[in-house]
Amino acid sequence: MTPILADSAGPRSRTQRQSLLKQIMGMPAGAIFLVFMTLQVVCIAGALLYPNEFRYLSPQNLTILMKAIPVLGCLALGAGVLMIAGEFDLSIGSVYTFTAVLMASLVGAGVSAFLAAPLGIVVGLLIGLLNGHITLRFGLPSFIVTLGGLLFWRGAVLLYNGAVQVRFDPEPIFTSLFSGTLLGINAAFIWIVLFVVGFHFLLHRHRFGNHVFATGGNRGAAEAIGINTARVKLIAFAIAGGMAAVAGILATARVGSVQPGQGAGLELQAIAACVIGGLSLRGGRGSIIGIFLGVLLIHTITDVLLLLRAPGFYLDMFIATLIVLAAIFNHLIERRGIA
Amino acid sequence: MSNLLELHNISKNFGALTALRNLSFHIGEGEVVGLLGDNGAGKSTTVNLISGIHKPTDGYLSVDGKKTLFTCRSDSADAGIETIYQHTALVDSLSITRNIFMGRELTDRFGFLRQAEMRDIAMEVLQNAVHISGIDSPDTLVGNLSGGQKQAVAIARAVYFKKRVLLLDEPTSALSVRETEALLNQVLKLKAENVSSVLVTHNIYHAYQVCDRFVIMSHGTKVFDVAKADTTINQLTEYVVLT
Repeated sequence: MTPILADSAGPRSRTQRQSLLKQIMGMPAGAIFLVFMTLQVVCIAGALLYPNEFRYLSPQNLTILMKAIPVLGCLALGAGVLMIAGEFDLSIGSVYTFTAVLMASLVGAGVSAFLAAPLGIVVGLLIGLLNGHITLRFGLPSFIVTLGGLLFWRGAVLLYNGAVQVRFDPEPIFTSLFSGTLLGINAAFIWIVLFVVGFHFLLHRHRFGNHVFATGGNRGAAEAIGINTARVKLIAFAIAGGMAAVAGILATARVGSVQPGQGAGLELQAIAACVIGGLSLRGGRGSIIGIFLGVLLIHTITDVLLLLRAPGFYLDMFIATLIVLAAIFNHLIERRGIA
Repeated sequence: MSNLLELHNISKNFGALTALRNLSFHIGEGEVVGLLGDNGAGKSTTVNLISGIHKPTDGYLSVDGKKTLFTCRSDSADAGIETIYQHTALVDSLSITRNIFMGRELTDRFGFLRQAEMRDIAMEVLQNAVHISGIDSPDTLVGNLSGGQKQAVAIARAVYFKKRVLLLDEPTSALSVRETEALLNQVLKLKAENVSSVLVTHNIYHAYQVCDRFVIMSHGTKVFDVAKADTTINQLTEYVVLT
């Protein structure tokens, strides 16, 4: 019996001949990156050719984009980490509103925003932990548990505050910290970029991230190797809840008030961004940069359609098409196993 | 040859069902033992018991002559026992490197991964310790590997973390002929490095190729325990089939 040796000599020409395009497609989020860049090139070219008809590059439009992206971005980052760990959180839209209302009303009662905002985040974390605890303790699908959470916290907003708008008047320094501008860039946009970088390192360069992928990819295997998968999932639930609260802070600081109904549907948009960004609904696959590109893509397309004066109610149809196409594409990639 | 692992009069009940009855056998250092038996003989229960998933109802295990109790999987891992299951051991959506170091990542003091170092080690282990064809990069996703290659990765993991006993549960059932051959060679190669193996299998021929000793189980207990030199395939088959 002679050992069968790895044929390390003679590298496979197939892999060598891969074009740059194939290499990018093979990278995590590579395909979505290509789509995004193509869209950008087309938009920028269009804006340069028709500066008066298509104001994509106008400062006003860029500011709108930079203000719109962070809220969905925070929600999607939290939801995405949880999805990679193999669970869902449908309650983040309601948690986002609840914590924002809580923060705004505390500030209205005279509490410093620098105290109220962290408190809102803590409440978000705790709600996430509660979702996780119920899900894991009773072995339920998180989809159902957090569907309950969605309705419960939406109701809690009305119970706590009634159906009226809450004004948010924090210290001016708080406002400028979260919705001011630095070197022409919106503060909230800087925050989301920082979060993306932080989450990227947490998920792709840190032990915890490896455990998240292992837990979502094959819980049995992760368990067998000694990873405490329940703990990993609990932390991921907490992150989802906490990031929902952060999104609430950014949105409230920007607008200066909270509407009790404002979070409705955002949880689905966040999950949509994740799916567009290449996350698998079964967990274990995806990347932070993909999630962010998914958010950017949703907002860019919405923005372009608005600039082209498409009627508002058509927007959902385009986003819907994008989600389904992305899901089909990701499924094909998963089956071929190149992602 | 001293005994690395011993099972002493172990019984295991699941409610009214008796899965194991008064089972005793041992695994020596650098020994390859074939654990044979028909379906329902109690092989899987035995594997789960040695790897710490089940606790014995009665009796005990000893490692290096010292009585021990495994309460969970990591207890057996600490004792140097690695169980290699056909399907559950690896995460398909992660690279080979990440799988090898899963749960035992090399990190700096803040918990950040030392990726380059892990990749180099994975490359080294794949090329030198586990000779299996077709894996050209430790960055390959495990989901893209064949059944045999996956087991090679699981074995690489055990080799790198200096395990003393490999429990291979039906390792050849989903492998091609060529992969089976490579796997059995791997077991022999590890034996030369003083790593023991327990081959849990239906396939007497595969076991006969590499095992030093055979333990045959039936109805939850041991019915035959014999060194390779003292038996033949026919005799083993008779015991598996007729008891």
